[in-house]
Amino acid sequence: MTTLTVNGTEYPLDLADPRVTLLDALRDRLDLTGTKKGCDQGACGACTVLSDGRRILACLTLAAQCDGREITTIEGLESHPMQDAFVRHDAFQCGYCTSGQIMSAVALLGENRAGTDADIREYMSGNLCRCGAYSNIVAAVREVARNA
Amino acid sequence: MTTIQQPRILGAGVNRVDGPLKVTGQARYPNDFNLPGMAYAAVVRSTIPSGRIRRMDTTAAEKSPGVLEVITHENADHLGEAPPSFVKNPQPPLQDDVIRFYGQYIAVVVADTQQNATAAARRIEVEYDRHEALLDPHDPRAERIKDPWGEDTAWGDVRTALNRAPVMIDQTYTTSENTNNPLGLFTTVASWDGDTLTLHDSNQWPNMIQQVVAAMFGVPRDAVRVLTPFVGGGFGAGLRCWSHIPLAVMAARHVGRPVKLELTRPEMFTGLGHRTASINWIRLGATRDGRLTAIEHESLTTLPLDGDEYEPCSSVSTWSYASPNVTTRDQQVRLNIPWTNFMRAPGDAQGNFALESAIDELAWEVGLDPLEIRLLNYAEVDPKTGRPWSSNALRQCLEVGARRFGWSERNPEIRSMRDGHELVGYGVAGVSFFWYQQPCSARVIVKGDGSAYVRSAVTDIGTGTYTIMAQLAAGLLGLEVDQVEMQLGDSSMPVGTAAGGSGLTAALGSAVHDACGRLIQKFVDLAGTDPFSPLANVPFEDIEVSEGRLFRKGEPTRGESLARILAVHGLTELSADGNSTPNSPEQLGMTPAGARGARFVEVRVDEDLGRIRVARIVTVNDGGRILNEKLARSQILGGTVGGVGMALFEETVTDKDTGRIANATFGDYLIPVNADIPDVHIEFVGEPDAFNPIGVKGVGEIGLVGVAPAIANGIFHATGKRIRALPITMDMLMD
Ligand code: FES
Ligand code: FES
Repeated sequence: MTTLTVNGTEYPLDLADPRVTLLDALRDRLDLTGTKKGCDQGACGACTVLSDGRRILACLTLAAQCDGREITTIEGLESHPMQDAFVRHDAFQCGYCTSGQIMSAVALLGENRAGTDADIREYMSGNLCRCGAYSNIVAAVREVARNA
Repeated sequence: MTTIQQPRILGAGVNRVDGPLKVTGQARYPNDFNLPGMAYAAVVRSTIPSGRIRRMDTTAAEKSPGVLEVITHENADHLGEAPPSFVKNPQPPLQDDVIRFYGQYIAVVVADTQQNATAAARRIEVEYDRHEALLDPHDPRAERIKDPWGEDTAWGDVRTALNRAPVMIDQTYTTSENTNNPLGLFTTVASWDGDTLTLHDSNQWPNMIQQVVAAMFGVPRDAVRVLTPFVGGGFGAGLRCWSHIPLAVMAARHVGRPVKLELTRPEMFTGLGHRTASINWIRLGATRDGRLTAIEHESLTTLPLDGDEYEPCSSVSTWSYASPNVTTRDQQVRLNIPWTNFMRAPGDAQGNFALESAIDELAWEVGLDPLEIRLLNYAEVDPKTGRPWSSNALRQCLEVGARRFGWSERNPEIRSMRDGHELVGYGVAGVSFFWYQQPCSARVIVKGDGSAYVRSAVTDIGTGTYTIMAQLAAGLLGLEVDQVEMQLGDSSMPVGTAAGGSGLTAALGSAVHDACGRLIQKFVDLAGTDPFSPLANVPFEDIEVSEGRLFRKGEPTRGESLARILAVHGLTELSADGNSTPNSPEQLGMTPAGARGARFVEVRVDEDLGRIRVARIVTVNDGGRILNEKLARSQILGGTVGGVGMALFEETVTDKDTGRIANATFGDYLIPVNADIPDVHIEFVGEPDAFNPIGVKGVGEIGLVGVAPAIANGIFHATGKRIRALPITMDMLMD
């Protein structure tokens, strides 16, 4: 038995199958489907979650590695200003990358890497948006970073 | 009551109504559905491009942990033919042993978990009889299809005009294969209940999926329900019923449980089609002062062995600029490749790159400013028919864009502008996009409390349909936006058309417009049966709506609220259906002009390394009436990003010997990331279009078109190197 702590709730998880990634555990076993799968290969950022406050790719993390860590997913954000800023700046279209973008952006604030637009662009570049909402994402992150 | 009122609602940049669901992870995409007892499927794909399956050994897979079923062509259900929509749909999978391309589905494995299904799928062993594959578009054995859509065009006498032209440009422009790659992994969750079937499915056209699946599985159309309230993008990828869909349905039937089939990223490259590569031959004839006398444009694009595709690259040359002599011809060649398919601005993206590069070359040849040559050759009327345009603000796009960009500060000499070790170039391109609309229907319902909802079986792939249709209906019914809910993404709703071809807003918007008109008529009729109603005996033409009330024009107090009319008549709701069909250009005596646009880019090229950077972009577009500027800007921004991808990064590489796509991951197939995208200035010009009652022209695709040639033209200005092939990579710029 592994215990996954997600958004403050402890979930006992039978991980007889060690291949289960954190992403699949969240989506398939805990029905926390807000975290998205865009590639399952660590290349798109759609699966970004926080592990003890740091952003990680849930598709490159085995669920079994997460015993004792605090995982935060999009469902665990409580009306974070970033969410509101994303809506007002129309920082998404299809919305599929959005959970990952927001988790990355929230982590970015803590990393002190949102000081300039160039920094925001650079450090948000692990999160692909195929709909191409990039400039609006930068605007949303910039606004929240300024007001933080 | 046929005009659009409430301009404060229409056009207003209201926030996306589905935004809160998307920023909280609550919007449910097809792969977010986990049904009780659901099993998971994994596909097996061919590893040769052409031949036959000699033998398949599924024993190890069948014995693999958790496996419920393995389906190959040997035990697959015999399925009915796939009916075409406006294009062909792939014929049912696993019906024979023939391999037509590398990556074709040859088996599906169903297991209790995704991990078990995926592991078992790897244990299937296949022996093939290989045939020689057709992979090169120039292979003389490959079938060539001339004039595939009967749209080859000719007027005037291009031969003579070219022979006599004092100036001529004769060049070949090529574009690479691109893959749509919506971020959402296309998924089908299929669940049978007796003879009825429910699908949670990634697509752009639920009624089409419904029809194709019903035909394949021999059940009535009504027995199939396709649900797509959210989809993780499409860009054209969801406009056909791809083979994984019937595979999931078949698998669910075999195991008697719901089945989820989620494609992997590499499978998204072979399973959903991609933008065809193109070769464009262009000959321009012109006077010495740069006036076009002849345009000849031919194109060659690719097809899979058994599919079709509408990719008329040369068509842009029939409507973009005025020329007395024009010939366009398109050809397709069939190869052993995965399906070619629509991708944001099919045909236009490639054809426009060719034409706008050639026009730029002509400008340099005659010594004219590249902006001026486009204004000089502006087509005042439809050059093909001589009919007036339904609207056309291309000239304004170019002029406004030039001002915003500061085009006048450009030094006309090549290699004349630099910043440190970077060469700076300014590039421009014009865009004349096509017009497209399909029939569509919608139902509008007003409820007892005076609020309303609209239903149509369409999808919102991120374009904003939820929002703009709520705005439109609110505007037409005199309600606030938050009083109207748009419901969509369910095939059991009134029949909707595809979210494609930049035509949904016109098609659905016109249907909503029709339904709202009929609904108000119903309210007026109803009020008329009540002798005490202040609206009794008021003719329909004299009715206005505002703030949820109907009243007599000019007499705001002489009226009644929608809610009250319902209450007086003891009704809980009142609804009306609306339809739209495209108008006919002949009847209206005008040519429907699609959106128009202009792109201005500043590129910077590292002189030593050839590294290319787009420093800023100005994009000005005429999209007719803009229903929501905030969302329309997002469409243009997204298109612009796609255009940068097409120009500088995106190339689906097929191995010439095996037919295998060699870069089918996000690590290898490059799409623009945040740091690749500079400041983008977006602006709209133009007026409501005269061709449909709501005055819109779609803006879903045009943003992409013209970005690539503007970048290529800017690179020429910066470096003096004319690159006629996309994507433009740094090796092409190194000496
Ligand atoms: S799904 Fe994890 S990075 Fe793409
Ligand atoms: S909003 Fe669609 S991928 Fe970002």
